[in-house]
Amino acid sequence: MTTIHKLFIANRAEIALRIVRTAQRLGIATVVPWHRQDRFGPARAEADQTVEVFGEPPLAAWLDIPGMVRTALESGCDAIHPGYGFLSENAHFARAVAQVGLTFVGPPASVIELMGDKITARRFAVENGVPVTPSADEADDPSTFAQRADALGFPLLIKGAAGGGGKGMQIVRHAEDVDQAITLARAESQRYFGDGRLFAERFVERPRHIEVQIFGDTHGHVIHLGERECSIQRRFQKLIEESPAPALPAGLRERICAAAVRLSSAAGYVNAGTVECIVAPDGEFFFLEMNTRLQVEHPVTEMVTGLDLVELQLRVAQGEALPMRQQDVRCSGHAIECRILAEDADAGFVPDTGKVLLLRTPTGPGVRFDCGVTEGAPVTSDFDSMLAKLIVHGADRALAIARMRGALADTVMLGVTINNNFLARVVNHPAFAGGEIDTGFLERHQAQLAAVNPSLAECQAILAAAASASPDMLATRIPEPHAAMGAWRN
Amino acid sequence: MSIFQFSDTPNVHHQVQALVGAIRVDGTDVRVHKTSPGCFMATVDACTELLYAVAHGDVIHVHLKGRAWKIERVDPTRSTATAVAAGVGASLAPMPGVVVSLLVSSGQCVRLGDALLVIESMKMQMTIAASINGEVAELPLLVGQTFQRGDVLIRVQAPEPLDDAASLDVPARRKGSGT
Repeated sequence: MTTIHKLFIANRAEIALRIVRTAQRLGIATVVPWHRQDRFGPARAEADQTVEVFGEPPLAAWLDIPGMVRTALESGCDAIHPGYGFLSENAHFARAVAQVGLTFVGPPASVIELMGDKITARRFAVENGVPVTPSADEADDPSTFAQRADALGFPLLIKGAAGGGGKGMQIVRHAEDVDQAITLARAESQRYFGDGRLFAERFVERPRHIEVQIFGDTHGHVIHLGERECSIQRRFQKLIEESPAPALPAGLRERICAAAVRLSSAAGYVNAGTVECIVAPDGEFFFLEMNTRLQVEHPVTEMVTGLDLVELQLRVAQGEALPMRQQDVRCSGHAIECRILAEDADAGFVPDTGKVLLLRTPTGPGVRFDCGVTEGAPVTSDFDSMLAKLIVHGADRALAIARMRGALADTVMLGVTINNNFLARVVNHPAFAGGEIDTGFLERHQAQLAAVNPSLAECQAILAAAASASPDMLATRIPEPHAAMGAWRN
Repeated sequence: MSIFQFSDTPNVHHQVQALVGAIRVDGTDVRVHKTSPGCFMATVDACTELLYAVAHGDVIHVHLKGRAWKIERVDPTRSTATAVAAGVGASLAPMPGVVVSLLVSSGQCVRLGDALLVIESMKMQMTIAASINGEVAELPLLVGQTFQRGDVLIRVQAPEPLDDAASLDVPARRKGSGT
């Protein structure tokens, strides 16, 4: 057993703040790095200590293994939480942290190597009786990769072996497009993960993306905390996640969760992890990959289980046994998360940049807003486009949807285009309410999800508010008693 | 009296006039009450809406019922012909980002629709295609270089015209606009 006194958070934005809050509640001091280009991050104000880090592009500072380890050591920390993204699934980082005697809040490097690499993880899944989709690995014979990919049949996915989060992923529907997809996937994978190895697999049509939250401790216990449905995606990136998965037959849910626990147990899994599966319309499911870290969408699991996953992570990292067994895990109600992104959803989801000029966050029963920006923060292309996560909980899915609708309308972030109105249109769609979702949802319902024009009265209200907020207008305002009277007369 | 427009419909102009306690929009009086910094109650007919609005440079950002709008004040003395200034055949960056790959080189002949370069902003990749037939005249960026919205990514020069139709070319028109 070790005790964590001071925790270095090798991350930024909303997840850094979220980890700071739990650590502080447990009496653990926190240190958060910041960069000149990211000085408005919300964790800076709440962390016990902050350290400036350097890098160009700024992202490089968070990907610098020796730099992060050195900064943690110099600030007197005894543990590092990697958050998600960045170095969270990098076995070299986990090993470097352990080598200098710090506690890594996550699985051991050997487990990250086994389960974090899509190729070795798939082999391991097959060995443990967990089904996978037909695939081709470039490493088996690079010279025949294109032909072997071609032979799997179309549609086909080409992705980085080390990738995740939809980066470095290309979908191919025709044989003649294979070569260009390989070139693009390799370039993207090399740039994001420093690893250009590729992997191809058959793409299941109308799949649902369902994942299982796993937790293991160093005493040999592995449990699951239920599943999450993450099928509302655009460009292979999750937009809306929920738990439990709507309209998933109980038997299928049990089989998926049992397979996830079996796989994680066989791997000797420790700490938080997620087993991702795709589920075909006929109920067949395939292991997709394992994420050896805390997920972006972990709050929906927290909302339905009442557990603090970061607290569990820190306790397990200290060598404590999980405080519950499988039969003690209770899920109640329904939780939904929407990712608030800096993008114009109505213009093909193009990312937007700008500055957060005005920020009003939603509140209310069952509403949680994990925010990664503060008023005045520039939103640049230096970092991910996710600015915040809106999570709601309700006694049932209909109530959760109703709360989400209200909370999305109450999310005010002016100065950069965000996708909250698009998200509202998705959760308001009858097919979403009916639980008829798969990863093709947004494409299939694109026409009905288009923005509607505001009414004449709404346009007038918008222009009047704009004029009221315009400094030029106020300067030139001339009292016109007769004209003004017209407004009140009736 | 000022002219306002929604950024997404730049050809539709609205006449906006500040009165006392009200704003006259295209002849309709809208009562506006500021409740706190950036927060307004606007009443049109008998219907009152809660809005947030904040000005930033030439743009006013407005939030109504979970949706944001960009409003611009139209200055009739200013030309908005950025694309015209850049010239026919130039591809401007639709968003800030980074060059992922260059598919052509300077001097190369390309045809309308040919893929010229691949750019990326945050997580989205986009292929820039030729808007005209011609020769690559300008390729100012290298792979890995970043750019801002509106920057010229590539310029394709049309073949020399054989007749005097070129007298209607863009630089001449631009000179006349007095910018």
